This record gives sequence, structure tokens and C-alpha cells, in this order.
Amino acid sequence: MAAVAPVVPVRKRRRRRPIDSDTVTVGRSGAGTLFANLAAIGFIVVMAFPVYWVLNTAFKPSNEILRFEPTFVPMSPTFDNFKSAFNAPFFQQDLLNSVIITLGAVAGAIVVGFLAALAIARFQFYGRKAIILIVLGVQMVPLVALLIPLYLMMQGLGRTKELPGVIIVYIVLILPYTVWTLRGFISGIPRELDEAALIDGCTRAQVFWRIILPLTGPGLVATSVYGFIQAWNEFIIINTFNDQAQQNLMAWLLQNQTQRGTFWGPLMAGSILTAIPVVIFFLIIQRNIATGLTAGAVKG
Amino acid sequence: MSVASPSAPTRPTPPGPPAPGAHVRRKRRSSRSGGFVPYGLALPALFLLFALLGYPMVRMIVLSFQNMRLRELFNGLTPPWVGLDNYTRTLTDSVFWTVALRTTIFTVVSVALTVVIGLGVAMLMRRVAPSLRIAMIVVMMFVWAMPQLVATQIFRWLVDADFGVINYLLTLLGLDYESHSWFAEPLEGWSVITALVVWAGIPFIAITLNAGLTQVPKELLEAATVDGASPWQAFRNITLPILKQLIVIVTTLSVIWNFGLFTQPWVMRDGRPSSDYQTLATYAYSTAFKTNNYSLGSAISVITVILLAAVMVFYIRQMFKIGDVD
Amino acid sequence: MKRKIALAAALTATLLAAACGNDGSTSGTPDANASVDGKGKTLKVWLMVDAQSGWKNVVDQANERFTAATGAQVQIDYQQWGDHLAKVDATLAGSDVPDVMELGNTEMPKYVFNGAFHELDKAQYENSKDWLTGLSAPCEFEGKTWCVPYYAGARVLVYNTDLFTKAGVQPPKTYADVVAAAKALKQKNPGPKFSAFYAPGQHQYMGLAWAVSKGGTIAKQEGDKWVGTLSDPKVQEGLTNWKEITTFSSGDKTKNEQDQAAIFAQGQSGMMYGAGWEAGAAQEQPKDPNDPASEKVKTKVAGKVATVAMPEVPSFLGGSNVGITAKAQNPELAAQWIKIFTDSKSQELLIDKGALPNATSLLDKAAAKEGNEASAQAAKSSFFVPMAPKWAEVESANVIQQMLVSIATDKATVADATKKADDQINTILNS
Repeated sequence: MAAVAPVVPVRKRRRRRPIDSDTVTVGRSGAGTLFANLAAIGFIVVMAFPVYWVLNTAFKPSNEILRFEPTFVPMSPTFDNFKSAFNAPFFQQDLLNSVIITLGAVAGAIVVGFLAALAIARFQFYGRKAIILIVLGVQMVPLVALLIPLYLMMQGLGRTKELPGVIIVYIVLILPYTVWTLRGFISGIPRELDEAALIDGCTRAQVFWRIILPLTGPGLVATSVYGFIQAWNEFIIINTFNDQAQQNLMAWLLQNQTQRGTFWGPLMAGSILTAIPVVIFFLIIQRNIATGLTAGAVKG
Repeated sequence: MSVASPSAPTRPTPPGPPAPGAHVRRKRRSSRSGGFVPYGLALPALFLLFALLGYPMVRMIVLSFQNMRLRELFNGLTPPWVGLDNYTRTLTDSVFWTVALRTTIFTVVSVALTVVIGLGVAMLMRRVAPSLRIAMIVVMMFVWAMPQLVATQIFRWLVDADFGVINYLLTLLGLDYESHSWFAEPLEGWSVITALVVWAGIPFIAITLNAGLTQVPKELLEAATVDGASPWQAFRNITLPILKQLIVIVTTLSVIWNFGLFTQPWVMRDGRPSSDYQTLATYAYSTAFKTNNYSLGSAISVITVILLAAVMVFYIRQMFKIGDVD
Repeated sequence: MKRKIALAAALTATLLAAACGNDGSTSGTPDANASVDGKGKTLKVWLMVDAQSGWKNVVDQANERFTAATGAQVQIDYQQWGDHLAKVDATLAGSDVPDVMELGNTEMPKYVFNGAFHELDKAQYENSKDWLTGLSAPCEFEGKTWCVPYYAGARVLVYNTDLFTKAGVQPPKTYADVVAAAKALKQKNPGPKFSAFYAPGQHQYMGLAWAVSKGGTIAKQEGDKWVGTLSDPKVQEGLTNWKEITTFSSGDKTKNEQDQAAIFAQGQSGMMYGAGWEAGAAQEQPKDPNDPASEKVKTKVAGKVATVAMPEVPSFLGGSNVGITAKAQNPELAAQWIKIFTDSKSQELLIDKGALPNATSLLDKAAAKEGNEASAQAAKSSFFVPMAPKWAEVESANVIQQMLVSIATDKATVADATKKADDQINTILNS
């Protein structure tokens, strides 16, 4: 196996679309296929049901939502819940904040993480093991335990009640995973390529820029998925650090749960509005997610 | 390479991506010392980690040996040093051990379910009609994209005793689920939480493993069938070994995530989970922030990290080896 | 080794810095009547979300009058009840704190006790002679006043007049009437969704009201120690009555009271124990819940809901107080804002929105408003939680709710559940 000529797995896999990849024909009897298809339908129904129920709820007027006998399609469909959520205090501001924070955090983590991943994957140096250990270890620390010290520190630095402070914290939050996954991708790129380029007169910086970075492309996308989800979903830190005007959509969603009952309609409508950007992002990079994840993981 | 295990037919392995661990043996240590370059590259990441996690972590550890209450917090007084008091208190508290055991059981059950179902779904995706496969991917993308907080609210709404559709459907089926409380019995309540976590966790694992399955050479599987291997044998001896490392990774990631379970029970129980619904994370949080016992909360967190690290030693070693060699 | 030293140094430095951050400069009381030029200044105020969804007009008019008087602007941040104390704690620990902060009256003592608020000159605030004790007691500590009552809420018996008529029962005058009505309603309406008396198990102020209804107390002070007294026979008797009421409820016994108005609106509940505004919320809801001014939509029970003070059961007096934080940047402006925000004019606008005012002298006005009579009357015979500085932690730790749920779901007997709760209360209050 060791003798097999090195291939560039990342590249190769990117061309293959996961949706119509080669179907395995093993055990393909008629009954088996029928059974598999039925199981798939069952799976789809179960997985989709909660999503369907959100949509169903979001389009109902409030007196239809709070009913002992739920209806399976809105009897008098309405956009009121969406209007209510969208026009609710701070929704639009917090939507914008969410986008800025998430993009900022993901971009920051990718840049910083890529550099660190390069160091670990391409160099042998004193302290490398320690870095790996740190990167693996910090993932286990429960974040909520750090809330007060982190808050006091950020406040001492004057970085609360603003977006950049939260962005930096989120970068740190997603950095370990980013470094680790990118390390896997970079390791998957044959070193022979670097060496050949160096012999051809490239500087080391050029090797990173011209060879490794482009080849890590799909990996960067796959890695950003995780960061995106983390940054988009976080609410404990931001809710503690910031006031209403600098919060994100998750913190905003919590507002719909008041002492006067949960506003289910606007909550569900708001949830849809909150999830849409993520779904769009996912659908855009859909092809890269799966291939990227495996490449990163298998190689790492 | 483990693909060529005894019962599988011995054929030359088709060229493809190198199997895990195979590339390790290649020699390429030379020409890799870059002087200060690696330090420069790692510096920004290390700086951020040390500044924003290192310092608070040290504070957390120091705090766990002190007795910090509200008065010290507000007035910036140095809390009195109490040595190991918080640790002895936690470790001798039966509530803590109940919570720790509950968290562990939940982690084992939820991770096992997610991985097994995820693997099943990944394999299923390779057998079904293309249109169904696309539908499966689309549905999973939606579920995956659903923020945790949103997903939890949805499930809370689905199982609401009075307005929830689940009770309504079960009642229609003739079962006695009228106004049934899903949280009166902790076992039922935890079933709901587990269902939520598994539901939300399947897409990541299924999509990852499905991509991993594309690396299983189909010629090999076909040959195995021709040679009379049952589908189960083909799965055990060909598919599983190739997926092994991927499964280890998604499993360990799931363990880390699920062991730190916070949002789901917290939001499901309206931000005030009763003792039956505490996990280590919510328990540490409640202790620190609800009863203002910051030091005790810190001690619980430190112990949690140690417990998790003990469980994860295997994983860390595995990862370490991988990270170290290539 | 070097790193260790550096870390230790960094740590010491921060601890020192923190230690010098605040000297607790609470000398003197901020003058609410001083003429302060607030031009260019912004007063930061934290209010709970109820003001935003329930009576934003009260806040707006107070801000207008305040800005006219001082020239300073006001920035209001609305907070959620859910986890707000964690945020309050983190914020008060820092240096950038709001000038004015609202806290629930059961939460207040803990913060007053721990030095989070400024002392006030009580006489400068309107109606301070007649403040409701349930609100003002949490503001008093060591003979001084640390906060100002903002609004109150009392709980009453809410009932469905239509169902009462059909079952042939009269509005209850005694506790026995309540139980008899529940039985009659249950007999008349055998459906599985029907609750003769809707009573969610986590409704702690309902449970506590019943607990003290037979003359018992929740906890008492013995010397410098607090002792939980829930296992006292009188309390057990009251809770046994409460348990009986919960058997008339077909709802989720592990729920809290947050959606009881919505459940009552289904017309499948004969009675419930709720705040005055919940009787209104059960009958009509704003079409857009995020905009209280939007058009109202009537529910199934519109016009069929009435309230009466719960006979023989005292009401817990809930509510909120506002105080000036010890680290406030503009304590004098804060004092002026609070003065305006809690004066009779603001209080009367609050009454219009169905809240109870902060003073007994205004209760009669509240009672004159239709729909408020019962709660105004209930407020006159009210009880309050123990004035222990750490009582808020008992609430945060869910001690009472867990006790009630375990009784309601038959997980524990009244005797066992109260004993366990007493132990927890003793630990928390004396730690």
C-alpha cells in the first residue's frame, strides 16, 4: 500500500458529486430495494416532521396555534407571525449582528487556524506536541464555567457591549476544531509537491500561497461549516456580554419566551428566518461538506 | 491493510486514496525544520488561545480553591482560600455523582444511537433511488442547519402536554396521552431529550459516513458477493475496517459534544431544570450562577474536565499519534 | 518555570486591579430633587421585559418628563426573566453597570445585602409612607432604604362564568365553596381535557399561598440562623388542600404557570389561580404579541371570565423594585428618574394597564378600575417570602417547585416532600 503512487485525494473527491455517486449493487434484490426505499421514506418523514411542524405553526394565526386540537395545515394561513418577528424590537439589528459576527468569527478562525495548521502539519519543531495537546484539550472545557472570568477580562479590556469582543471570543471557540481539521487536510497534500516547488525555486511563502492554500480550498469550506454553526448558534456568551442592540438572533429568540407565555407563532416564524441563512449557506456548499469532512477526518 | 482480512477475498487492492495509517510509513522528516517559521505561524493561534482561554481557565482553577460569593464578586474582594474544600464537598455529594452518572449514561446511549442510526442511514443512502437520496440529503441539511436553540424549542412545542401534536397523534391512535406530561417521569423526559439530540446529530454523522463509504471500492464488495460472502460479512470485513477511523472520529466528537449537554435540557425545562434534568454542565452552571457559589461551580467544572479527559485518553492518544506522525 | 511566574504575576495583577476597582462609595444618598444639568448625559436603565410588552407608554412618558427636567437622555434595556440574574451578577461585578436596575421583589434582598445598591432617601419618593410592605420590605436593610417599589401583582381566583352557570354554581365565598364548585364542574364536564381547577405543579406562588393558608410560615429566623418550617403541621395541612386542588386539573402537573391564560382560553377550565392580567389575557390577545398596541383578538372565553379574591387563601404579593446601582455613573440622575417613574402619575398609568400600584393609598384607585377589584382586594391580605438575604437562591434552586411537583405527581407524600424542602432551605439560607 505504501508503494501506491500518491494521489491528491481532496482534488479527486471534489469532482465527484455525492448525490449521484456510484451506487453499490451488492445485495440488490427487488425486495431489498423496495425495503430500502420504504425505509428511506420513513426516515425522511420522521426527520422532516419537526421541520414541517415549524412551518405549519409559523403560518397559523395565534388563536389557531393555541388550540387543543392542532390542525395539520393552517386553516387561515397568514404571514402575521413573520411580520411580527421581523418588526419586533431589535430583530433586524440582531439579524445583521448575527451575520457580521458569524462571518467575522469564521473568517478569523480560518486565517489564524490555517497558519497554525501549517505549522503543525508541515514542520517538526520543539513544542509541537504541546501545541497539539493544547488544541485537543481545550475542546473539553465547559464554556459556561469560564463565563465570569471571561466576562471580567473582556470588560476590563473594554470589549463588552460591542461586536468585535464577541467575534474574538467566538474565534477562540472554533479555533481548536479548525486547526485540527485543517491540519488533516494539509497533511493530505503530498509533501512531494512542496519539495518539487521548492526545488523549482519557489520560496516557502510561495509554496504555502500557491500550492497548499488552493489545494486546501474544499477543506476550508468544510471546516467553516462547523465554525458557522457554532458562531450562529451561540447565545450564552453574547447574552451575558452585550445589550440588546449588540446581540444575535439566538439571544433575540429567547425573548419570545416571557413571563406572559411563549409567543409560539413569532418564535416559530423567527426560527425559520433564523435558520434560512444557514440553510442557504449549506445548500451552496453542499457538495463540499461531505467530501470535505471525510477528507479532513480520514486524513486526520 | 485491514481490508485484506482473512475471510475477504485476497485481491490486489485497487489504487485509491491511501488507507488510514498507510502513509505513515513514508519517510519525509527531512528538510522540515523551518527555524522560527513554525513558531511564527502558530503564534496568532497560541496567543488567542492563551489570552482568551488560558487566563480564564487559570482563573477558574484558582477560583475552585477559594470561596467566592456574591459579595466578593461585586466588591472585587479577594475571596478566602479554602484549599480542597470545594473538591471534597463535590466528591462526597451524592447529588454530584447522580448527575455524573446520568450524564455518562445519556452520553453513551445518545452517541450509540446517533452513530448506529447515522451509519445505517449512510448505507441506506447508497441503496435507494436517486430521487430519494436527494430528498434524504435535503432533509438532513435542513435538520443540520436548524440551530440548537430552535430545535429545542420545536421539540418542546411538539411534546407540549396541552397543545403538543405528539400527544394529539398518540391520542388519535387510541392511546391515553391526553394532556400527558412528558417530563413527569425523568425516563420519558430524557427520551425526548435523547430523541432531540439524536435527531439533530444524525445528519453530521450520516453525511460524513456516506462520504466515507464512497471510498469503499465497489469492485471489492462485488467480488466478495461473487465469492459467496453474505452482506453482513462484506460489511464487517470490508466496509467497517475502511470506515473505522472515521467512525472513531465522529464518535469521539459526539462524545465531547453530548457530554457537555446544556442547551437542550436547559431550554426544554424553561431555564430551571429540576434535579432530575441536570447534566454536569447545567449543574455547574446552576451552582455557580443560580446559587452564586462560583467556587463550587468551578470545582464541578474542573472535575468534569478531568472525568472527560479520563474517558478521552484513548482518543487523545489516537489523535496524538496521527497528529504526530504525519 | 518562567511561564508560571508570568502567569502568577498576571493573576496577582488582575486580582489587585479588581480589588481596587470599587471602594463601595455609598456615602450619602443621591438627591432626587437636586437640579442636575444632565445635558449630553445618558442614563442607563435596565427594566424587565414586562414594561416593554405591558406598559411601554408608562416608560415613555416618564422618560419624556425626565428629559424635560434634566436634559439627560435615557437608554432603556429590557431584560428577560429567564436567566437574568446570571447576567445581573456578571454586570454588577464589572465596572460598566446600568444606573438603574429593576429586580423582582423576591430577588432584591440578596443584592441589597451584598452591597449592590445605593442607599436612598426614602422621603423624597412619592407615597413612600404607604408603600406596600411586600414590596418595600425587601428594600429595607439595616434600617436604611435601598430601592423603590415599582409595581405589584396579586393573584386571584379566575373563573369561567359560563361553565359556572351551566353547572349551577355560584362564585365562591368560602374555601369550601371553591372545592364544591370544582366537584360540581367536574361532574358536569367529564371530558379528559377538562380541568375543573387548572393548577400547574410548578406554580410556586400558588403552592406557597396554600402552604401559609392555615397559619403556617415558610421559614423563620432563630437567632442568626434561618430554619425552614414547611414540615410544620399547619403548612402540611395547607399543602394537602393544594394537592386536592391539583387533582381537579387535567393539565401537565410539571408545567409552570406561564401558559395558563392560553389554556384557560380554551374554555376547558373552570377555575385557575392567576394574576389579574391573566384574566384579561385569557379573553383577548394582541394579534401581534410583539406589539401590545396591535388589534386585539377575542378568544373563546371572551366575556365569560370573572375574578374574585381567593377566599381564605392569602395572596403572595409579587412585584418589582427599582434601585440605583452602587457603581452607577449618574446616581443623582438615576434618583430623579426613579422619582418620576414611581410617582402617582406613572402609577396611575400602570393601574390602567392592569398592574397594581406600589402604595396602599393608590390601591383604592386600582380597585375602582374594572377587572382590578379582586386583585386590589387580594393585595390587602397578602403574604411575602422570608426576608432572608439568600431567599432568592432558594427560588433559583427550584426548591419550592420541586417540592410541589413531587407532591402533585405523587412522587412523594406531603410530609416527605416538605421535610426534604426544609433541609434544602436550611442548607441554602445558612451557607
